[in-house]
Amino acid sequence: MKQRCLWPWILALILWSIAPMFWQLLTSFTRSDALVNPTLGWSERWTLIHYRELLQSDPPFWRYLLNSTLVAGGSTVLTLSLAIPGAYGLSKLPGRLRRSLRLIIGAAALFPYVLLFLALLELARQLGWGNNLLYLTIPYAALSMPLALLLLTAAFEGLPQDLEDAARLEGMTLHQRLRWILIPLITPASASTAVLVFLFAWNEYPIALTWISRSDLLTLPVAMARIAGSSIYAVPYGAYAAATVLGSIPLLLLVLLFQRQIVSGLTQGAVKG
Amino acid sequence: MMLKLAQIGRRFGETWILKDLNLQVGEGECVALLGPSGCGKSTALRLIAGLDQPDQGEVFIAGESQSRIPAHRRRIGMVFQSYALFPHLSVRRNLTLGLQIRGATALDQQQRVNQILEVVRLSDQAERRPAQLSGGQRQRVALARALLRDPLVYLLDEPMSNLDAQLRDDLRPDLRRLILGGPQPVVYVTHDQQEAMALADRIAVLRDGRIEQIGTPQQLYNTPQTSFVAQFIGRPTMNLLKPDSTEVVGIRPEHLQFDSAGLPCRLLNREWHGASQHLLLDSSRGQLRMVCAGDTPIGESSAISWDPKLEHRFDASSGQRLNRD
Repeated sequence: MKQRCLWPWILALILWSIAPMFWQLLTSFTRSDALVNPTLGWSERWTLIHYRELLQSDPPFWRYLLNSTLVAGGSTVLTLSLAIPGAYGLSKLPGRLRRSLRLIIGAAALFPYVLLFLALLELARQLGWGNNLLYLTIPYAALSMPLALLLLTAAFEGLPQDLEDAARLEGMTLHQRLRWILIPLITPASASTAVLVFLFAWNEYPIALTWISRSDLLTLPVAMARIAGSSIYAVPYGAYAAATVLGSIPLLLLVLLFQRQIVSGLTQGAVKG
Repeated sequence: MMLKLAQIGRRFGETWILKDLNLQVGEGECVALLGPSGCGKSTALRLIAGLDQPDQGEVFIAGESQSRIPAHRRRIGMVFQSYALFPHLSVRRNLTLGLQIRGATALDQQQRVNQILEVVRLSDQAERRPAQLSGGQRQRVALARALLRDPLVYLLDEPMSNLDAQLRDDLRPDLRRLILGGPQPVVYVTHDQQEAMALADRIAVLRDGRIEQIGTPQQLYNTPQTSFVAQFIGRPTMNLLKPDSTEVVGIRPEHLQFDSAGLPCRLLNREWHGASQHLLLDSSRGQLRMVCAGDTPIGESSAISWDPKLEHRFDASSGQRLNRD
């Protein structure tokens, strides 16, 4: 009985979250004149022209996808490879020190990073780090670090002490314990952290806007903003919608791929078994 | 003499969890560390294993000081109360991983693991994950892992506390055959005096981080040195009669007998166990626990006595034994 009462709510929620995306998808396949002319017949409305234009422009749109994938992937790898050992270290600190450090890291995670972008721009200029996708991963990794540390420290703290003790007595050095026991056991937490970091880097705008000026190195958000503002006299809704659709496909794939791991991680729950 | 703790101490902040602990465990000997929770017995085990460092004293294994040897290089086979199997690995992988780390060849690993799985009767479960095994099976995997470590010392940390009574009875022969039968010294931590009496050659009763008494189960049972030990060893617990000014008299429940000329008592409670029964009696000298044969008829009121030679006498304030024997 209860289940049935929930259905309308679930449907409403799904509609609420899916409808804008569906609208974008529809728009991306609609001819520009049909967008402002509702009287046009059904068969005359549809087109692939927006996609064709996107892919044939200079540089082609897939270039931005590639740039973003590179930056987001690089940031994720960099963040995890620094945050995992860091989080392990944090989780081994004595109680009081650990709690105060966690407070500081929490504050850093909540800090509105937009306030930093001018300072970061200054840094990039000093160090000559502008217009380089790999250098762009450095501020991204740094800004994701607090959240990654919090999530991963909690994961390490959740592992029973006996497991690591048993591994030590089996003759494993710190490196071997991390490699064979600890990192595999926190995979679910690492996966969800990776998704969050990837998302952040994928969506990030102000730093990408200021650090990158060469048009073949732009990341997706900046490129899309350029498309939206490319004409003074009209907003190219169709092209913009097509860019949005193409830009979200990799993210959807990522979430679908990782979904199983995250969910299985959550249900795996008690490590003690 | 293969394992020796010399003046071991460990403190957290200002409180000593363990202080001036001296203990020697000989070749093939099993010593149980017995005590209530918080008495420092698990800490002692962790210090031997090198998982924790002592603030005082030294651990010697085979005559060699372990102070500078990290846990992963000490040859210790440890069995945990929580089993501590690696949950993401199959039973086989749980066992081969350590061998691989310690440099055994793939062929050697498989041979030794197959052999040990045979010994602990788990060959059919080799490809399962620990979560798919019962508690007793998990603990047998843990025993197998400790055996494969080829250790100098075995440490068992309440290995049967998470098992129900039936499984404990099943596992005890395995434990005896595989671990206690070997030449290695064994330190067995438990809070269960029955388990300690059944498995250990000697028992060290710990209280507040110090050894209260150490000896064979018979010594602890027959001549407990303090009233604490007297109360800890033997079930049901020893009766301590109402103290007069300076001494407390203890008498074991199994040493009481019915005697119409003795101390008059009233029956408060009766537990029947088949072969025996446990009675709780009220008398002028306090409440008394008594054990007698299961077929003894029990009335509401009766009279009991005991042989004065079986009395244990303790100092009322310090708890030290006063009998001269």
